[in-house]
Amino acid sequence: MLTSIKTNEFAGSESKKLAMMYFRVAIILFGAQLLMGLIAAIQFLAPNFLFEVFDFSVARMVHINALVVWMLYAMIGSVYYLLPDEAGVETVGIGLGKLAFWVLTAAVAVVVLVYIFIQVGPGKESTIWLINEGREYIEAPRWADIGIVVVVLIFYWNVFATYMKGQKTGILTVLVADLLALAGLYLAGMFFTDNISMDQYWWWWVIHLWVEATWEVFVGALAAYGLVKIINAKREIVEMWLWIEVLMLFGSGILGLGHHYFWIGTPEYWWEIGALFSALEPVPLVAMFVHVLYDWGKEQGIAKAEGKPGSVMKNGPAMAWIVTNAFGNFLGAGIWGFFHTLPQVNIYTHGTQFTAAHGHLAFFGAYATILIGMMYLGVQGAYGIERMKATFKSKMAIFLITFGVIGMTIALTIAGYEQVLVERAELGAGWNAFFVAQDLPWYVQAQIWRTIMGVVTFVGFIYLVWDLLTIGKKEAKAAA
Amino acid sequence: MFEQFTDVVPSFFGYLNQGPLTLTIFLHTVIILPMIWIYFDEKKKLKNGK
Amino acid sequence: MANENEKLSVWTSISFWRRSAAWVTGFAVILLIWLTFNTMGQISMGTDADLKKAAQEHRVVSRVPGPTVINYHIDYKMSKKRGHEVPVIGAKEPFFGKEWSEKEAAALLHLGKLTSQAKNCMNCHTLLGNGAYYAPDLTKAWLDPAWQKGGPMQAMTNTNTTEEAMAKFLQNPSQYPTHARMMPNLGITEEEAKGLVAFLKHMSSIDTNGFPRNFSKTVEQFKTGGTNAH
Repeated sequence: MLTSIKTNEFAGSESKKLAMMYFRVAIILFGAQLLMGLIAAIQFLAPNFLFEVFDFSVARMVHINALVVWMLYAMIGSVYYLLPDEAGVETVGIGLGKLAFWVLTAAVAVVVLVYIFIQVGPGKESTIWLINEGREYIEAPRWADIGIVVVVLIFYWNVFATYMKGQKTGILTVLVADLLALAGLYLAGMFFTDNISMDQYWWWWVIHLWVEATWEVFVGALAAYGLVKIINAKREIVEMWLWIEVLMLFGSGILGLGHHYFWIGTPEYWWEIGALFSALEPVPLVAMFVHVLYDWGKEQGIAKAEGKPGSVMKNGPAMAWIVTNAFGNFLGAGIWGFFHTLPQVNIYTHGTQFTAAHGHLAFFGAYATILIGMMYLGVQGAYGIERMKATFKSKMAIFLITFGVIGMTIALTIAGYEQVLVERAELGAGWNAFFVAQDLPWYVQAQIWRTIMGVVTFVGFIYLVWDLLTIGKKEAKAAA
Repeated sequence: MFEQFTDVVPSFFGYLNQGPLTLTIFLHTVIILPMIWIYFDEKKKLKNGK
Repeated sequence: MANENEKLSVWTSISFWRRSAAWVTGFAVILLIWLTFNTMGQISMGTDADLKKAAQEHRVVSRVPGPTVINYHIDYKMSKKRGHEVPVIGAKEPFFGKEWSEKEAAALLHLGKLTSQAKNCMNCHTLLGNGAYYAPDLTKAWLDPAWQKGGPMQAMTNTNTTEEAMAKFLQNPSQYPTHARMMPNLGITEEEAKGLVAFLKHMSSIDTNGFPRNFSKTVEQFKTGGTNAH
């Protein structure tokens, strides 16, 4: 389907070809995520839709798993893409890397088919090993967990060996250290316990320390690479900010884990730790971006005054997505996260649509945006285009997707607010209180708007795929 | 000023948690203070024109 | 001169930020590991002896009680000292008509927790507030007035105890519709249903620092006859 994204013009870099293979699967899974989200959104409005055929729990499980897996695919792809550029040598172990790609893709296909067709199993260990683990985000059955660990080890070995062989830039140093932590953390989610508090304690080690620590640093490294690549940003500025990001993201993100330990049976001292450590996370991401852009503008001005052409923006759509990333991360992870990170607020908002609102904008703003930007860089490289400008389709894609996600976020925030006041504050959090709040018109209207905005996002996604498939050919022809 | 200890099980971190912000201010301070030393150490290095 | 100053600024020095990043990250990790050891000690399951003590003193001695908590009456009361509601272990009460030994209770809880994962509860409900937001939070479901004597669920399932009502409902949820949004039939067996109820009862005894807040308001409202039903 996506073979028209060419892979044979990378001046012989196998690593970049492998990157494109990962990007292709990523975009397919992204589509699956959106479709599942639409099904789940419709079920909120029409609970009989696919009832006992394809229940909300299944749609939602595939929705969030496709999300995590497409992002991991795009992340691995991004690393394979930038590795030869940064290290200055071709990635070692590409053959092994390709094997790992096929193993992982086959495993993902089997897991998804089992999710969709078998769905649930009896209350036995075998279900956890073969069907699903029933732990949000990391539902993958244990056999797949082990497979993922093996594949990730191969990937990590390739990155590490290339790093040791080539030049050790600041961007690569951060990436190599970050990926080790990212891979190691997955192990914390691979055990069973009867104690639900213990279960969730370690579950958050995987989820939080991925999404609010190691993934964020990873994004910082990608943004640094992207800015150097697209607008010739000065490496000293970018790398300085990258280290500040590591400092602030890990400094706040690691102990910021505490904001998940308010109500799961863990001691009260987590209230204070969780409240104030998690607040500063995405500030440096915006700061790097603003500093780089300021410097770029200054250099352009100097070049103009001297009558020189200055440096050009080499990839319009990728740059647009990185801009969306800088502000989307700040807004989604930063502002929407801070909304409910204090325990005084969180005791009312925890487990309401507030969390869903934050989740949608944060995953999109912090991760989807920059990974899509990396895909555009990939297309540019595949066609060997010197300067790639945004097409009408690129503009429709970024506008509709961003507009759709922000719309869903606002709708869910309103739904969450209604839940907080009616279900939690007014009626007192019981079973009856839950359904009273779910039935109020303001909640239902918010869910309708969420669904409409989901459709808008999906239309944007169609433009995105269309653009990724055609922009390279079009611009290569224009350049010729 | 100091509030009664309210954790169910007493612990080191529980004792530091004596009312609003005591624990978190303590931890932030312990983390940030050594950066002042790193700052002056770096400044010395820069002055010596490494 | 300006150039001189720029060179001397530590704030734009990469090595300053790199060293600071290494220190902060390393120290945060050490603190997290220390905190984790401390928390592990506090959230490990308590013993049967702890529970006997708790029942005598009408309070909770471990944050996560042992499996035999299913043999006791559990209440959720406002604590003036802590400023929120806390679970209170009361007198003994039969669970599915009997008292469960330590071994039996542990096995039942194990089956329940395993079933909760195998049936993917968390992708509709929230447990301890985590999960999906399609169905009610299960943290204190055991204490919810809807399932107590006089509540709609015992009448609907034609049972006399909370545990029986829950078990019967879980085996055939779409037979007992409570709302347009129903729970699907997940093929839960009788044994699995008992396990799930034990899991829910155990979860309601965990000290969640007052989450979900205001829960006893639901209970009071129910007792005074208001149901908020539309």
